[in-house]
Amino acid sequence: MIGLNDFMLVSVGLFCTGLFIIVSKKNAIQILIGIELMLNAAILNLVAFGKYDRMNNGGQMFALFAIVLAAATTAVALAIILNVYRKYKTINPDKVNQLKD
Amino acid sequence: MNPNLPYNNAQTVTLAIIAVVLPFAAFVVNFLLLGKSKAAGWVSTLAIVASTVLAANVFFKVWGSHTIHLQQVWFTIGATKVQAGILLNNLSVMLLLLVPVIALPVHIYSTAYMKDDEGYSRYFSYLSLFCFSMLALVVADNLIMLYAFWELVGFSSYLLIGFWFTRQSAVIANKKAFIMNRIGDIGLLSAIIILFTQFGTFDLEALFGPKGLIALSNITNGQWVSASGSIPAVWQYVAFGGIFLAVAAKSAQFPLHTWLPDAMEGPTSVSALIHAATMVAAGVFLLGRVYPMFNDAELTVLAVVGCFTAFMAATIALTQNDLKRILAYSTISQLGFMVMAMGVGAYSSSLFHLATHAFFKCLLFLVAGIVIHQMKHIKDDNHLDIDPQNILHMGGLRKKLPVTFIAALIGGLALVGFPLTSGYLSKDGILIQAFDWSDNRAGILKLIPYVALFTSWLTAFYVARLIVKVFFGEFRLQKMNPHIHIHLGDGGWQYKVPLVFLALCCLFPLFSYSPVFYEDAWLYKGFLQANFFARENLYHVLIPVTVVILSVVVIYGAYVVYVKRNSWSFPQTGFLYRLSYHEWYIDKFYNRVIVAFILWLSKALYWFDKNIIDRFVNELEQVSRNIAGLAAWCDKYIVDGFLHLIANLVAAIGNFARRFQSGKIQYYLFSMLLVLIAVFIFKLIWT
Repeated sequence: MIGLNDFMLVSVGLFCTGLFIIVSKKNAIQILIGIELMLNAAILNLVAFGKYDRMNNGGQMFALFAIVLAAATTAVALAIILNVYRKYKTINPDKVNQLKD
Repeated sequence: MNPNLPYNNAQTVTLAIIAVVLPFAAFVVNFLLLGKSKAAGWVSTLAIVASTVLAANVFFKVWGSHTIHLQQVWFTIGATKVQAGILLNNLSVMLLLLVPVIALPVHIYSTAYMKDDEGYSRYFSYLSLFCFSMLALVVADNLIMLYAFWELVGFSSYLLIGFWFTRQSAVIANKKAFIMNRIGDIGLLSAIIILFTQFGTFDLEALFGPKGLIALSNITNGQWVSASGSIPAVWQYVAFGGIFLAVAAKSAQFPLHTWLPDAMEGPTSVSALIHAATMVAAGVFLLGRVYPMFNDAELTVLAVVGCFTAFMAATIALTQNDLKRILAYSTISQLGFMVMAMGVGAYSSSLFHLATHAFFKCLLFLVAGIVIHQMKHIKDDNHLDIDPQNILHMGGLRKKLPVTFIAALIGGLALVGFPLTSGYLSKDGILIQAFDWSDNRAGILKLIPYVALFTSWLTAFYVARLIVKVFFGEFRLQKMNPHIHIHLGDGGWQYKVPLVFLALCCLFPLFSYSPVFYEDAWLYKGFLQANFFARENLYHVLIPVTVVILSVVVIYGAYVVYVKRNSWSFPQTGFLYRLSYHEWYIDKFYNRVIVAFILWLSKALYWFDKNIIDRFVNELEQVSRNIAGLAAWCDKYIVDGFLHLIANLVAAIGNFARRFQSGKIQYYLFSMLLVLIAVFIFKLIWT
């Protein structure tokens, strides 16, 4: 029987993978993928905790809402990455450092 | 000024002041305005002409009638008021007149004599300054002014003796004159200080006047008692010693006389002025001013020193070959006579001799100037290597320089003291009074008048030698160099007029209507101390006759020896000859003993300075350098180090902090993650 713990473990694995990708990758697209992974870990948690909610399907609803939101933010992020590429001819976040002192 | 004085006196004082200040004005004009212009000579001469006229005016108003003393407060120190003013009595007006009367011919003579010199205007500036200092010296009414002008006379003579300052010998001579005079100045200054301490005033009349403080003071029980207090009597002798030193330095008396012969390095016209009226007269004048302070023992010292100086200088003059040196020693000898006269109480004779000596000595020096000038021309024209002042090269000049010869003859006879000349009157006065004085003395003091008498024969001899060698016989220079080209002459009116004027002044009518009796000279009437008038004893007849007869014999002897030269000549190897020729070895003695001692002392002090003081200073320097080094180290490594530490710390913190602002977004995220993890870890640990 798959219990809450199993969900949580998968979610932690996803979250950590996403976090590692964000911190270590040198490509903005990959970082975006990492963010998505972390978001999905959170959404997975929402769905898993939704079983214990007093209201039925409240978690699933919230998860759907978050997925839509994530899609929107991903679109925005991709647009930003495109603009960054136009300006800097690169999408390595280390090189995009004009704001530093 | 004192309003109670009659108008007439105030006017006289004004005239006197103008007479004194005019040469100074000439000095200022020459020095500041004229530069190298030839007008300087005429400015100075005009000033001295005006001075002469004014001084004569003052002289006839004051002489024999009354004393004018005008003064006002100069400055006040505490309760002591120092007055400055003018004191015109017989003594000062006599010198007030004498100085410009002598200086005038010298000025006229100098306009020709110094004509081709580069320092023409400088010469006349100095000459005017010299006359001014002397004139101011004689009219000063207090010891401070007297001292100031005394110094100024010394200083201006220093300038004139070293006039040709490019010559090493002139520089040495004027240094010597100045140092000798400094010794005298110290004496005068200490005497002034003692007198002020005792009497509380500098006023000459209050001190030395007929009813002055000196006259009222006396020595009782070893104390010098005066109206204002008493001090040990020894100070009276110290004051005398100081005055004596001053007189000895200025008037070239025995221990300090050696500067005068060396002062011949100046132009001859300056020598004429120094020897006649300005410089050396100052010493005798000072004696005349302070005469009342001397007691019997001190007067005896003066008599002995004067007599010795006269004798010594006369013996030296016998063998010298330098024309001006002979005259210089004769001046010293005559000054010795004057000081001796002061010592034997022949106050008025001394001053009388000062006046007559001024004329004939000035005349003789001007003659010497002409002769030297001519010899120098011969030397320059023929490129000879001779000393133009050496009388051994001269001879037979009487036909070539007739006016000069006559003048020299008159001056020489006056110096010897021949009848019909002024020198006869004054010198016999001194000798007679010296004999009168020695009647009451015992022992060696009896010798003094005889030594003086002997000196006057020596005088006759060296004067005769001088005149014979220069003017008689044959011209030895021509004899030695037969081919030299010679043209000689007396020179223009600037030479002749002064000579004639001074020669006339050397004759008796200027001083007395009687050519024989010195007591009839009008100068005697002016001085109070003249008390030897009575022709009470044999001396008054015997001495003049002896002097004259023996002088004639001596002069004839000299003539025979030096002109004929056929029978006998003086040995030139004996001890006496060497003693005289080397000027009694006094200069050598001074050089060996005093100068050497002072040099040794200064070397010792130099060593002390170098090895002790300098070393101490160096050590001190080293110590302070070390301390400073320590301080620098502290500063650098402790104070600065502390500051650097703070600065570095701040920089390190800054560098550490700026690493977080790298602009790398992942780095920020990682930091946040770390912080977050840290927060959780802490939370776990503490709970």
